[in-house]
Amino acid sequence: MAAAAVLPFKQLESYFLSHFLTNKDGTKIVKRKAYQKQVAEIYQYISEHLYYNRPDMEIKGERFNSAILFSLLTGLQKGKELIIGEPGLGKTTSAEFVCSLLYQFPLGVIWGSEVSGHPEQTEEKIIGRPDLGKLNQGTEDVVWTNFTQVPAKIVDEINRLPETKQSMILDGVDRGNWEYLNEMIINDEYCLFATANYQDGGTNTIIAPLTDRFDVMVESRHPGPNLSFLIGKENHKTDGLRHPRYEKELHRLLNSKMSYEKKVPKVEEICNQFGDYVHESIGVKPLQRNDRDQIRAEMRDLPMDLDGSAFTRMLLAEFSFCDRYGQKRSVETCDEGCHYTGYFCHQIRNCASNRLPTSIKLYAQGLAWLLEDSEIGIEHVKTIIPYTLAHRVQWKEEVLPQKERMKRDDPFPIFLAKEAVKVVSQRYREQSDHVKDALASASKIFQGETLEPLEGDHPLYAEIKKDIDARRN
Amino acid sequence: MKMPNSRKNDGGVSHERNPLAARNPFEEFRTYADQPSHLPLEQIVQSSELVMNQIRQGYEKLLEEEAKELVWMVQYNTIIKAYEVAEKHVREIQYSAEDIEDFCFALENAQKVPYLIPGPAGLYISALCNDAPEEEITLKLSELKTEINLLGFRLPKGRRLIIEGDAGDFTGIGLEGGELVVEGNAKNWTGAGMRSGKVLVKKNIGLHTGEWMMGGEIHVGGRIRGLGNIVEGKVFEREKLVYPGKTKYPNAYY
Repeated sequence: MAAAAVLPFKQLESYFLSHFLTNKDGTKIVKRKAYQKQVAEIYQYISEHLYYNRPDMEIKGERFNSAILFSLLTGLQKGKELIIGEPGLGKTTSAEFVCSLLYQFPLGVIWGSEVSGHPEQTEEKIIGRPDLGKLNQGTEDVVWTNFTQVPAKIVDEINRLPETKQSMILDGVDRGNWEYLNEMIINDEYCLFATANYQDGGTNTIIAPLTDRFDVMVESRHPGPNLSFLIGKENHKTDGLRHPRYEKELHRLLNSKMSYEKKVPKVEEICNQFGDYVHESIGVKPLQRNDRDQIRAEMRDLPMDLDGSAFTRMLLAEFSFCDRYGQKRSVETCDEGCHYTGYFCHQIRNCASNRLPTSIKLYAQGLAWLLEDSEIGIEHVKTIIPYTLAHRVQWKEEVLPQKERMKRDDPFPIFLAKEAVKVVSQRYREQSDHVKDALASASKIFQGETLEPLEGDHPLYAEIKKDIDARRN
Repeated sequence: MKMPNSRKNDGGVSHERNPLAARNPFEEFRTYADQPSHLPLEQIVQSSELVMNQIRQGYEKLLEEEAKELVWMVQYNTIIKAYEVAEKHVREIQYSAEDIEDFCFALENAQKVPYLIPGPAGLYISALCNDAPEEEITLKLSELKTEINLLGFRLPKGRRLIIEGDAGDFTGIGLEGGELVVEGNAKNWTGAGMRSGKVLVKKNIGLHTGEWMMGGEIHVGGRIRGLGNIVEGKVFEREKLVYPGKTKYPNAYY
C-alpha cells in the first residue's frame, strides 16, 4: 500500500482498473486466485443480473451483500442457511441462483426439487414414497423425491410446516441421511437453504433443535426503490440458467429406478454439460464437483490464528456458562445475585450448542479463503459470528424491551447478535494478552507443568480452571 | 476408572508421550508465551509508530478513493462521501488524541504524508476526533503552515475540540451538538449547516458565517466579516447578539 500511495494518481487509477473488478454499486472485488476469482465472478453475476441488492456488510475494505455472500459460503461449505425476510424480497430466488451456479443445476430442476412448507406437507412428498407397482407385487421399494437426491436443497417457507412435521426433516437436515421404510440414502455432498417469513397468521415457530441445525441466518432485504424498479423491467434475466433439454434429462434420471449411488455420477455428467452451456451463454463458469471439492480442501487447510481462537472461546464461555448452575440450561433461570451479571450468560436463557463453534469455523474459513487470507483471523470471526448466533440465542424477556426501539438496519435478532459481538470484542481488546496467557499456561499445565491457572473475572477463566481440574483429577 | 497418565509427580515437564496430549484443548496456545517479549518503552514506540502508519494509510486510502488526481471539490456530496470513507477507515484504528496531533504535523512532512489536501485532510481529522476515545481533544496547530479546512465537521454532542492556532474554511460545519473552540482566526463558511452545539472563535471570522445553520450558537471574540443565510441559531460578536438581529442580508457589514 505504501508503494502504491506514492505512485502518481493516473498510474494508480490504471493500477486499480487492472487489479479490481468493479460492481455496479462501485464496490470492488480484488483480483483473485483461480477459484476465488471464479467464485467472485459468480457473486458479481448474481449481484448485477439476478438478485438486485445493496451491500450491507464490510470486511477488510470489501463490501458484500450478506444474503449472497452467506448463500455462496453455504453452497461451498456444505452448510445450512436460514434466509428470513418479508415476502417477495428474493429469499427463495437468491438461494435458487446460488444453487444453480454453484452446483450447475438448471433452474427448472432446482424448482422441481424444492419443498414448500405448508400444513398438509407429508413425509411422502418430502422424502420418499413406496413404489406402488412393486408393492402390488409384494416387494418394498422406495421412490425418493428429487429433494432428497439433489445436493442443493431448498425448503421454502419452512416455518409454515407445523412443529410436529418439522421433526421429519431433522435428521436429513443435520446429516444428509434420508430414511423411508427400511431404506436410507446418504447425501455425500449437500447444502440446505430454508426460507422463513416473519410471523403471520399461517406461520409456526421453528422448533429449537431445527433452528440450531442452521449454521447461519441472514435477511434478504429490500434493495431500495430504484433497484426494485429495475426488477420489474427485466423479465428474462433467468433465461441463462434455464435449459429445457437438460432439465428434462435430469428429471428423467432423478425419477428413474436406478439406485441413488449410480445416479449421482450420471447426474454430474449432465450438470457438467449444463455448466458448459452456462459458461458459453452468460460468460460465468459454474463450479464442477471437482472444483467444489478442491475449494473445500483449500478452505480446510486454513488455520485459525490465536486471536481468532481466543476471541471465539471468550464468546462461547459467555453464551454457555452459568456460575450458579454450572452451565446455561433453558429450563433454569439464574435471576439475581449472580457474580457474572455483567456478562451475556446473565442475559440469555439457553446454552450455545456445539454446533455454534462448528458453524463459526466453517464460515470463517470460507470467508478467509474468499478474501485470500492465509489464516482465519479475529476479523473473519467477528464478521461471521452475528449470523451464526442470531437465531440460536434465546434472550431473556427483560433484555428485549431495552433494545427493541434502538435505531438499526438489521432485523432484531441479528442486531442483538452484532451488539453482543461488539461488547465481547471490547472485553477482548481490554484483556486479550491476559486471555492468551491464561490459555497458554493452561496448555502447559495440560502438558504436565506445575503452574497455577491464571485468574480473571471473565467466565472463560473459570471454564479453563474447570478443564484443568478435570485433567488433574 | 483410572485413566492412563504420564504426568510425573516431581512436577517437571513430562518427556514421555502423553496419551492425553491429543486432547489438550489449549494446544494451539502452547507456544504463545514463548514469543519474544519487548521492553515497555520499545513497545510504546513501536505501537505509536504502528498507529501512525495506520492513520496515514487511512488518509492515503481516502485520497485514493476521493481525491483522484489530487483534485477535490467542496460540494455537499463530496463532503458526505469523503467523510463516510474517512469514518470507515478511522473505525479500524485504535488511537488516542495524541496520535491525531502527531498526524496533523505529519501532514506537513512530505516524507511521511506525500500529499496534503486541506479539505479531505480536515474531514479525516474530524472523523478521527469524532471517533476518538477522549471526549475533549486539543489540537496544537499554531505551528502548522497550512490552514486545514473542515475541522470539527459533525462534532457530536458531548465532545469538545480545541484548536490552538488558526482554522481554515468550513470550520465546524454540520456541527452536531459538540463544542468547537478555535483559539485563533477562522475563515469563511464557519458553522455552515450546523444543527446544534457551540462554535467559539477567539479572534476574527470570515464571510458566510453560519450559512444555513439550523441551530446552535457561534461566538466570535473578534470581528465577523459577514453572515450567511441563517435559518435558525444565534451568532454573537464580542458577546453582543448579532443574529437574530437587525442584519437581514448575507455578508452585510454592520
